[in-house]
Amino acid sequence: MTHYKICLWIAVCTTLFLWTSLGYTQGPTAPSNVVAKDTPNDDGTSITITWDVPADGSGIVGYNILSSIDEADFTQIGEQLSLEDVIDTKTNICNYQDTTVSRLNAFTYIIQAVTESGDTIQSQQTESVRPKAQIFHTGKIPLFLAMLLFSAAIVGNIYYVRSGREVFVRRIPGLEAVDEAIGRATEMGRSILYVLGLGGVSNVATIASMTILGQVARRTADYETPLRVPCNDPIVLNVVREMVKTSYLDEGRPDAYSEDNIFFLTESQFAYAAGVDGMMLREKPAAIFLQGTFYAESLILAETGNSIGAIQIAGTDSEAQLPFFIAACDYTLIGEELYAASAYLSKEPMLLGSLRGQDWGKLFIFGLIIVGVILELSGINWITTLLQNVR
Amino acid sequence: MKRQIPLALCFLFGVVMIFTQFSPHPVSKSIYERVISGALIIGPFALVLATITLIQTHINRIQRRTEHWGYSFVVFAGLITMVAIGVPFGPENPVFVWLYTNVQVPMDATMFSLLAFFIASAAYRAFRARSTEATLLLVTALIVMLGNVPVGDLIWNTILSWTGFENQASAARGWILDNPNLSARRGIILGVSLGVISQSIRIILGIERSYLGGGD
Amino acid sequence: MLTRIVNMDRRYVFILVALAVIIPMLFSVSLPVSISQPTQNLYDYIENLPAGSTIMLAFDYGPSSLAELNPMARAILIQCFRNDIKVIALTLYADGTTLASTLIKEVAEEAQAVDGEDYVFLGFRPGATQVILGMGTEIAGVFETDLSGKPLSEIPIMKNIVNYDQIDLLVDLASSATPDAWIIYANVQYGLKIGAGVTGVMISQMFPYLQTGQLVGLMSGILGAAEYENLVDVPDKGMQWINVESFVHLLIVLLVVIGNIAYLIQREREES
Repeated sequence: MTHYKICLWIAVCTTLFLWTSLGYTQGPTAPSNVVAKDTPNDDGTSITITWDVPADGSGIVGYNILSSIDEADFTQIGEQLSLEDVIDTKTNICNYQDTTVSRLNAFTYIIQAVTESGDTIQSQQTESVRPKAQIFHTGKIPLFLAMLLFSAAIVGNIYYVRSGREVFVRRIPGLEAVDEAIGRATEMGRSILYVLGLGGVSNVATIASMTILGQVARRTADYETPLRVPCNDPIVLNVVREMVKTSYLDEGRPDAYSEDNIFFLTESQFAYAAGVDGMMLREKPAAIFLQGTFYAESLILAETGNSIGAIQIAGTDSEAQLPFFIAACDYTLIGEELYAASAYLSKEPMLLGSLRGQDWGKLFIFGLIIVGVILELSGINWITTLLQNVR
Repeated sequence: MKRQIPLALCFLFGVVMIFTQFSPHPVSKSIYERVISGALIIGPFALVLATITLIQTHINRIQRRTEHWGYSFVVFAGLITMVAIGVPFGPENPVFVWLYTNVQVPMDATMFSLLAFFIASAAYRAFRARSTEATLLLVTALIVMLGNVPVGDLIWNTILSWTGFENQASAARGWILDNPNLSARRGIILGVSLGVISQSIRIILGIERSYLGGGD
Repeated sequence: MLTRIVNMDRRYVFILVALAVIIPMLFSVSLPVSISQPTQNLYDYIENLPAGSTIMLAFDYGPSSLAELNPMARAILIQCFRNDIKVIALTLYADGTTLASTLIKEVAEEAQAVDGEDYVFLGFRPGATQVILGMGTEIAGVFETDLSGKPLSEIPIMKNIVNYDQIDLLVDLASSATPDAWIIYANVQYGLKIGAGVTGVMISQMFPYLQTGQLVGLMSGILGAAEYENLVDVPDKGMQWINVESFVHLLIVLLVVIGNIAYLIQREREES
């Protein structure tokens, strides 16, 4: 009896010991909290599966992802994944994006944990998910709002100016000198050379430059001063011809317009610079306009113009070329002044309004920068985080 | 109508292309890809247009015997030679490569090298200590110029080695480019970017029409 | 005399510059080059790519800037072939085709790299922005063949390359605004990593991108080329020309200093 009791006692103790030790061992367990969801903000070509990170010492070295299409048999997707492949260190969650899916089917997943010894433990199967394509990318909401706000500021200001209200535009010396330059050329009986730079017709600086050219052409039509425009882009050439012709027509001087004065030189950067330099040295224009997009040829053009004593008005949004123009030209329109030029010269309410809206946008950015800096210095960084997350 | 159709097309494509930037939907993606493929076709057309325009311009010059019209024959000689070799035999043809290496490369390089001469003369004229700001610009320019070449560090390490710091000319140049230069540049970039957006909105809404050749 | 110095005829400056270029070329001068961080970053990035990775090399320059950018291209190609990194080369410049093709062949021959297996040159397509955007969807949609006319599907190196997703880095060697276009359209839209090598006049334009991390590294002008040649340990034209450039810079500094001394003395005299 005593022996029997002792044996029973030992058996109970051993069972208890084994049971408790098994409970506390970090042995391999099935992946938990496995959830499959349609990947947000995509074109419906992926499903994201997430599950808990395995406990330390669990012995799990990797995972297999099994999927079933429309409740058919489960098959493995690709190769076995290592822990580094799936653990997101920021969120401390395992995740996998299945990009083999199609919007026509529903998918179910099982995550299979693989141990060092090669054994596998499977999770519960997830609920069935069908990938969907999103119409709007929610991560881009701040960008979308900023775009709407800025557009509204421009359109609102256009209406504001159209209602007859005055808008103050600060003096831009480079643009005020346009009349002086044209007058000088007329007095000297020499031509005016207008260089649009190397930009194509889709380039915003070229478009701004063409608008200034339109205004310059109106004045040269009045004064009957020859206006020479060598072009670098054939599409720009055709637009410019049309534009200058319209300006001459508007001023009632179609007879003074000569198509030969607006011509195509070459698309090659330095051959173009050589051609324009040659014109400067041969024809000695009294005024030179260098307006648009320029690259390394900027100083070659500006210095040659300087050497012949022409009055030079430059303007570009290519920031790297600004120092060259400032050093060699009489007046330089810096960056956005070039875009403001069309509004400044024409005084058209629509353009003046958009200029005012542009200033509002700038004011908003300045405010954001100042508030951001103050908050950042005070240890609050939500503005910085928000801006960093805008894509 | 001549203006209305292009303006309507510009508005339509402008709005649709903006929308594609905010939508990951396959329809939006497909529209975006189609527009880009369409735009790709414009490139070769522009090249053809350039060639035709070049030929027209020089034929006009020859016909009208304008000043220096004889050089137009040089243009045609160059054009015909390069096309006659380049088109059938490709740009890797030895004759084409020879012409490229011995004609185009030296001519282009000559024009680019003029920059060194012009930078020197412009720097000599512009960098004058006329005011405090101009002096600041002058000193900064000298530091960057010296820091940009190994001789700057060599001078520093030879003359100022007693300071215990090495290669400070290039370090100073790096600091100037990284800080004052960057701050000023960012200011200009912000202004320019807003200007570009504003100009684009004006074009999409049909307010800015200069790209159509002026007039209403 | 002072007035003559202050208003020195530009032709004297030109003669001095020419002499400052020619004289050092006649004598072999070698100055030590220290490596700047942006160049080191680009080198390290490529160096740390595993063998078999693919980089895209854009030869976005013409013959005018060949002196500054060819040494960079050469050094990068040497590093790639040495590390078994595949190179897909292309150009957005019509007159960059022959230049790029000649250089690639030359370096490949020295490194015994095989066309189609270690590198491929796709050539030129017009319309820079559209080409960059188009390749984001499908490279073969923009370049159906390589320069020799071989379909991309038949080129071993292009076997698993569809778009930017399979490209580990793009290095743009540029003489104009193409790095901006690559950053705006390929990096921002498609997440392609970008490094650049640019001409001296463009350096300051690139620094904002370096600070934001949109450029992994940058080679600046002939100095950048010399630094890179030093890093790959194949000194060539870059090292040779940076020494010449040193003398020109030194001359300009001297001229500016002399001009200012003369100007200040003249002003002093006028005031007194």
